[in-house]
Amino acid sequence: MNSMFYAHLAVQGMRKNGKIYLPYILTSVGIVMMYYIVSYLTYSKSLYNMTGGRDMQMILSWGTGVIAVFSFIFLLYTNSFVMRRRKKEFGLYNILGMGKKNIASILIWETLITFSSSIIAGLGLGILLSKLSELCTAKMLGENISLGFTIEKQAIINSILLFGAVFLLILLNSLRQIHTSKPIELLHSDKSGEKPPKAKWFLAFIGLIILGIAYYISCTIRDPMSALLMFFVAVIMVIVATYILFTVGSVTLCKMLQKNKRYYYKTEHFVSISSMSYRMKRNGASLASICILSTMVLVMISSTLCLYIGKEDSIHNRYPREIAMETYSIDEQYTNAVKGVSEKIVENHNLNIDNLLYYNCLPVAGTLGGSIMKIENTGDYSKLTQLYVFTIDEYNRLMNKNETLENDEIIMYTNKSDYMYHEFTIDGFQSLKIKEQVDEFNKDIVNDSSALSVPVVFIFVSDVEQLNKIYDFQLKQYGDNASLFKNYYGFNLNCEDNEETAIFDEIRYEISNLQSKDENFPSVKTDSVIYNRESFYSMFGGIFFLGILLSVVFIFAAVLIMYYKQITEGYEDADKFEIMQKVGMTKQEIKKSINSQVLTVFFAPLITAGIHTGFAFPILLKLLRLFGLCNTSLLIGITAGSFAVFAIFYVLVYKITSISYYKIVSKQ
Amino acid sequence: MTILEVQCVEKIYTTRFGGNHVQALSNVSFTVEHGEYVAIMGESGSGKTTLLNILAALDKPTKGDIILEGKPLSTIKEKEMTSFRRDNLGFVFQDFNLLDTFSLKDNIFLPLVLSGKKAQTMERRLQPIAEKLGIKQLLNKYPYEVSGGQKQRAAVARALITNPKLILADEPTGALDSRSSDSLLKVFNDINQEGQTIIMVTHSTKAASHAGRVLFIKDGEVFHQIYRGNSSNDEMYQKISDTLTLLLTTGGDRNE
Repeated sequence: MNSMFYAHLAVQGMRKNGKIYLPYILTSVGIVMMYYIVSYLTYSKSLYNMTGGRDMQMILSWGTGVIAVFSFIFLLYTNSFVMRRRKKEFGLYNILGMGKKNIASILIWETLITFSSSIIAGLGLGILLSKLSELCTAKMLGENISLGFTIEKQAIINSILLFGAVFLLILLNSLRQIHTSKPIELLHSDKSGEKPPKAKWFLAFIGLIILGIAYYISCTIRDPMSALLMFFVAVIMVIVATYILFTVGSVTLCKMLQKNKRYYYKTEHFVSISSMSYRMKRNGASLASICILSTMVLVMISSTLCLYIGKEDSIHNRYPREIAMETYSIDEQYTNAVKGVSEKIVENHNLNIDNLLYYNCLPVAGTLGGSIMKIENTGDYSKLTQLYVFTIDEYNRLMNKNETLENDEIIMYTNKSDYMYHEFTIDGFQSLKIKEQVDEFNKDIVNDSSALSVPVVFIFVSDVEQLNKIYDFQLKQYGDNASLFKNYYGFNLNCEDNEETAIFDEIRYEISNLQSKDENFPSVKTDSVIYNRESFYSMFGGIFFLGILLSVVFIFAAVLIMYYKQITEGYEDADKFEIMQKVGMTKQEIKKSINSQVLTVFFAPLITAGIHTGFAFPILLKLLRLFGLCNTSLLIGITAGSFAVFAIFYVLVYKITSISYYKIVSKQ
Repeated sequence: MTILEVQCVEKIYTTRFGGNHVQALSNVSFTVEHGEYVAIMGESGSGKTTLLNILAALDKPTKGDIILEGKPLSTIKEKEMTSFRRDNLGFVFQDFNLLDTFSLKDNIFLPLVLSGKKAQTMERRLQPIAEKLGIKQLLNKYPYEVSGGQKQRAAVARALITNPKLILADEPTGALDSRSSDSLLKVFNDINQEGQTIIMVTHSTKAASHAGRVLFIKDGEVFHQIYRGNSSNDEMYQKISDTLTLLLTTGGDRNE
């Protein structure tokens, strides 16, 4: 009986504060829904069975982790808005003789109601939409999917457990707040005279420094591997710096402007600046969150979309020729056999070999420190370097040059721009003089190798004999793990896809025939772009899909924060609006001042997000190189495009949420 | 010299659907001379707040007009009204209406900033006023840091700083304790002595007893008025109390 009374009070309280509670519950519903969908996909059997589906599930399971952490932070944060509004009511109950225990039971009821409604609605919607998302995934992976409805029990259990825990923690946090406060404080908590925000120079300065370092990291990173490592460091630094700058830095800036009397005592700045510092003190965190979420969305969408759109580039870099054979030997007996088979089959189809590329080389991995390359497994992966050894004859042929080398001389080409030495020492083997460091080598070969995430060094040695010596040396060092020679033979064809695959299949068949006839025949890796294209498409499609999913979650969150910001500011500004009118501001002046504040406050995150994205650009470029994509202009275009689209969306959201703001301010 | 003329002002409120008419003021006429200190008294519902709002040009009379220094308020356009109010009238409210986000100094500066005055000019004007009101030490504090009386002084300073023709005070002592009330009333007396015209609407006999003339409003009309003449504050207090008793008990004969 008694507990029903509290339930009643809880329901009533929630209904009365609908403007605050409804979006809160809607958010939880949305987050539960997204969590269920993503976790459904990670458990989905049909996705598992698609080509590339397993990779995608792995990527997605990482996504569930992100959403779980995010939802906890985000719900805790939105709940603080709710509590801010509710405290007064609790204060009144307390003064009217309700103990803190009773208030706790109201809170428990409220949390229970919120939890159960968001779980029921969220899972319901999630189950409805999960099929749709599965269809989208299938579409991206280029697969068909059987119709029919499935529910993943494990995903439901996970959702309930996760959000049960989240809401329990939120409840404990609210209880703590109620427990430690006094009734009078509760009663006046939403209107207590607020201390003027103070300028914190030191902290603001630290924020700037952290941001500077993060930007510096992004701009100076050289190779993709360290980009991958440093990316998360930079991201965390940017997040921390953004929070500091938005909360402390902005207030400090306002205080600085206030000190400039000429600027401050101007009609158009006066009211704006002083209320702005309060506004930033209270809402800086929301703005920082909006900014970070926007940045995440921008970075995610532009990079994943870039991958998706640039997949052809990526494929071309990875596979410079449509049909390619890599024979792991440079013995002409075998390489000519492979070449002969290909030529004959192409000829049989009345076609010509186009854009032929062939070369011999020896790829060896090692660790490069200074000018000394160690051909052994040192375990020091940060210095891991891929060495390609060619003969000078190959270099001359490929580059149309006429260079000659002494026995202990080499020509070098490397994408590691800080190689400043005059010799190159293979530890335990020989020190080689660098006759010349060239800044150009065959683009297709270089692009192919740059798909590796490690620095690459090409050396051109005097003759085959020298090449063989290096081969023998690394054979001795690595034993069973030693590298093999590589003969590359690749070409394009001018024909339909199905004819090309037919030719490719024939070549592959003939080569395996050769191999079965001669047991010494080296292994040959055959690659057809047409076959590989599918797996590229599915992988990049999958990443793009995850990008979209997470972006939706983040945008969702950003919109809600905007809405709450508008509402809370609306209530705060309403009183001020009245006073200013009495003191002699025209409605237009007030509107103008508020407008300029709201606009600044609103667009600061967007602009900052733009700057963040701009500075993230160099590091993104390096990361995309991991996927064999080096198309700078594509990334620029897409990033700019996504920013434009996002900005339009942002303005729309602003317009819509500002309606509720003006409603509150003008007390309609 | 007459500064303010109230001519046959009538105010009728009509409820939203046009059904009920409520007559807040029926026929109010009086004049205020330059440098006068007038208190307007009356019960709640007598129409004194309506009158003040009309004097402040926040509300329009249904009939009649207000003439400030020869200029009828009805001739001022809506657009110019705010700046007219800002330049000619100073307001002191019961609940101070200070902005929390400003220090006292900035609160006082607000009307000047709105009229586009320079920082130096503002400082120059502020100094004597702050001195007079005894808030010089408090200028950099924020409203939440000072007492009610101090807040009201800041509000008075804000009303004075534009050198208004008329100060309109709406229950200025209403939210103050008796000591703060006394000192605020003294401030009003002081600025009145320096030639500032003040019109104050109040409930409090004590507050009214400081004025040079007290108007009593009942049922939307000026019912009675008392001039101070040479009486002291105490004698004035006695006169007001007597009038109020009369007003309340008899329901009132007209006693002009």
